[in-house]
Amino acid sequence: MTAAAMTDRPTAYTPPANYRLSAAGLLRSEWTKLWSLRSTWIVLLCAVVFSGGLGAIIASSVPTDQAFGGAGSAVDFSMAGISLASVFVAVLGILTVTGEYSTGSIRSTMSAAPKRLSVLWAKAAVYGAVVAVLFGAMVFLTFFMTQAIFSGTALGGVSLSDDGVLRALLGYMAMIVYLALLALGIGAILRNSAGSIGFYIGVIMILPQLATLLPWNWVSDVTPYAPGNVPNAILLVDPAGSTLSVGESWLWMGIWLVVTYGLAGVLLKRRDV
Amino acid sequence: MKARFARRSVLGMIEIEHLTKRYGKKTAVDDLTFAVKPGVVTGFLGPNGAGKSTTMRAIVGLDAPTSGLARVNGKHYSEFRSPLTEVGALLEAKSVHAGRSAYKHLLALARTHGIPKRRVTEVIDLVGLHEVAGKRVGGFSLGMGQRLGIAVALLGDPAVLILDEPVNGLDPDGVKWIRLLLKGLAAEGRTVFLSSHLMSELAQTAEHLIVIGQGRLLADTTVDAFVTGSGQTRVRVVSPDAAQLAERLAGPGITVSSPERGVLEVTGTEAAVVGQTAAAHGLVLHELRTDRGSLEDAFMQLTADAVEYRQTSEGANR
Ligand SMILES: Nc1ncnc2c1ncn2[C@@H]1O[C@H](COP(=O)(O)OP(=O)(O)O)[C@@H](O)[C@H]1O
Ligand SMILES: [Mg+2]
Repeated sequence: MTAAAMTDRPTAYTPPANYRLSAAGLLRSEWTKLWSLRSTWIVLLCAVVFSGGLGAIIASSVPTDQAFGGAGSAVDFSMAGISLASVFVAVLGILTVTGEYSTGSIRSTMSAAPKRLSVLWAKAAVYGAVVAVLFGAMVFLTFFMTQAIFSGTALGGVSLSDDGVLRALLGYMAMIVYLALLALGIGAILRNSAGSIGFYIGVIMILPQLATLLPWNWVSDVTPYAPGNVPNAILLVDPAGSTLSVGESWLWMGIWLVVTYGLAGVLLKRRDV
Repeated sequence: MKARFARRSVLGMIEIEHLTKRYGKKTAVDDLTFAVKPGVVTGFLGPNGAGKSTTMRAIVGLDAPTSGLARVNGKHYSEFRSPLTEVGALLEAKSVHAGRSAYKHLLALARTHGIPKRRVTEVIDLVGLHEVAGKRVGGFSLGMGQRLGIAVALLGDPAVLILDEPVNGLDPDGVKWIRLLLKGLAAEGRTVFLSSHLMSELAQTAEHLIVIGQGRLLADTTVDAFVTGSGQTRVRVVSPDAAQLAERLAGPGITVSSPERGVLEVTGTEAAVVGQTAAAHGLVLHELRTDRGSLEDAFMQLTADAVEYRQTSEGANR
């Protein structure tokens, strides 16, 4: 090496131009992150076994001389497991965000996408889509399985073409996606696993049920609008008796998601990572 | 055309301007201004708690400055369309999910930018994690974690590298390896900015130095100038005529002390001058030697105030 070559500063290095941060890239990245954790497989497997298994157990244990029957009861019984499995789905939704904060991987994530909001949208989109596909399948699988068990009883012989049945089943699918997204948003706001899971179970799941025990009338007027209760109408084969109409139920799910993600987005932009 | 030219002029530059960061009442970084140039390794030196990590987090946009700004290539980090190819960062705290494998962690990051799997394998091989790439990061040693962090920083082949205490937890071989790696990257024209709380770590790697204490800039200089400029160079003389020699040497800017009989320590002049003075007056010398103060001494002297203040204020809190 010549003296000149040693003393001259090299010209600035030019980075490769063909790598670009993109929305599609963020979606693929979140997909990779989701499935590269053992906890995802375990929790989703639990949710699937729970929703199908509980549906089957409940269906088999309904007395055959059951006086009441009809499509409404049949769907209620068969979807009992799905409703409970939503807890697993919500917890995993929370962990997809809070797990990044507790382990510090959020710093890598946000250095790769410093505008931050796109990460939140990508996470919600990927997780929402996974839950929709998985539980879309589980809802129909469980329905047909329980119908096979019910066959010959008053709860049997219900078909998808019966009035309101398909809508109610799709309602269950929508509810679980809604709760998954709601939980993920709560995780993004609170950033802490224990706090978010506690908040979800305590405030979203249990509080509205406890509130109905209170003696004040206004409480029971308000509880149908609580974030955990608004999907109730879309689960019914015959929604005639529910406080919210099916349309209002959808609207309120939308409102709660906008509120949650609006707050999560603002906080994500403003807080240090 | 002109705008493009303007951008070129700051290519690879990290510019910190009046950066201040407070966490509640605690001021972590206090009106810090400096620039880091491409083509050399720049060391970022300061005792623990000086604000090095905070400054680096501000550069990559993770912590928003209370005031002032941090720019790379003339832009705020969040303005980059492909940040991983502009700046590669190894941050101090762990930035990996313990349950994920090293390979999947890198792959997930690569996918955000459409970086191919080939490049992921390449950086894994480069940092020597080939054998454990499929294992969960939770079981990694500190040194392996640092190597993974370096792989992440290099993933997008960026022109600017920011490494927070990269030597922490590395074995001696790893330390040697990273020194060569960083020097090589700087020689390619990249900007390499690495922090440490130990002068000795930076002395052998860095050419330029930014020294901070208590969140404030203490020195922005070359490593050589830092040592000589801090008044640590002295001439040691052993002579039977020490007393006479001391008299002859005395002059403005020169201090002569005698730690023991027959020994002089002279600062503010050079060995050659001492030798000539002795010869001119026919004085006998038994030994004439230049002592370069250690880098650690220079650093300690510069940060002594900051450290003392910290210790007393911490003591008061207890
Ligand atoms: N997120 C934070 N919240 C509160 N204080 C912080 C935070 N990060 C750093 N500090 C404080 O700021 C000071 C500088 O910290 P840091 O930048 O980590 O220093 P260094 O990396 O030089 O050791 C320390 O006193 C530290 O306690
Ligand atoms: Mg630090």
